[in-house]
Amino acid sequence: MSDYHASQGTRHESFVRPYMITAGRTVGHAGDIPIETLVVGRLSNEGLSPDYAAVIDLCTTPLSVAEIAVYIQQPIGVARVLVADLTASSHVEQHGTAASEGAAIVRRLLDGIRSL
Amino acid sequence: MAFAHSEAPAQRPVSAKIVVSGGFGVGKTTLVGSVSEIKPLRTEVAMTSAGLAVDDASKVSSKTTTTVAMDFGKLTVDTGLMLYLFGTPGQDRFGFMWEDVVQGALGAIVLVDTRRLDDCYAAVDFFESRGLPFVVACNHFDGGTLHDLEEIRSALDVPADIPIFMTDAREPRKVRDALLELLEHILTKIEPTTVMAPAPPPPPSSVAPSEPSFDPWRADQAVPTPSP
Repeated sequence: MSDYHASQGTRHESFVRPYMITAGRTVGHAGDIPIETLVVGRLSNEGLSPDYAAVIDLCTTPLSVAEIAVYIQQPIGVARVLVADLTASSHVEQHGTAASEGAAIVRRLLDGIRSL
Repeated sequence: MAFAHSEAPAQRPVSAKIVVSGGFGVGKTTLVGSVSEIKPLRTEVAMTSAGLAVDDASKVSSKTTTTVAMDFGKLTVDTGLMLYLFGTPGQDRFGFMWEDVVQGALGAIVLVDTRRLDDCYAAVDFFESRGLPFVVACNHFDGGTLHDLEEIRSALDVPADIPIFMTDAREPRKVRDALLELLEHILTKIEPTTVMAPAPPPPPSSVAPSEPSFDPWRADQAVPTPSP
């Protein structure tokens, strides 16, 4: 992934404004997607517009919505809308977050971080 | 492009989120970077609701849309468990973004510069009001005055059950310890009765506890009624 980090420094300004990419939508039901939600591609990006295809290309391994936003150089709100659309069309799948898993996940974090 | 359709059906990946908050320049990004396996990434979050939760009218911005930068990093805890650390600006006018960042967070570290305690009041207030478990980590700056931790507790009006400790945001082992402090604290909030001692082995399923205690977090039980 280091190539993405390297590209961060050379961010180019796009002529395309965020609201153009999302056809004017800002949050919609995408607001339900926490920024740490892991997203993974399920279908090929064939036939998708470049903005959507870029998300699929990134998500060969699970990647958070926040990271997707960084790598497509858009605000998080835009990444959310794209992920919501791609989820609706089954191109990507969203994985769960720890919020609903309670003590078990906290113990797992404790064990994992202690052993680091 | 082709995708491997999960040949290795390990457990489904899951992500967790911890918030690192504090005043400008206190070392949030340094702290995140100390344990993150990626160089902290900067993303921008647009905010459209100025004035939310602002109690000082002089600070209300006339702007209704603004963009703030937020740095974050991540840490692979075990196969399939990713921990994200989000550094949030501490200024109260960023309350709207906090909602977004805090949604679903397990807990928060309030990073304090002991020379500028004022900078973290907003964070402490916000997490208290949201009921989000948090700890207070005092970043040890070279040349900074070392307050007594209990003095800091009283200055910030932080309850006695909330851990306050010294840390060094530049030092990965110290940051790791801060994360462990927070996680232990979160456990006490989730399971107040079982965290101090190792959990006893579960009783045989045929033996019901003689007097099941009322758990206010469970819906599937009768609410104890006060005796007449």
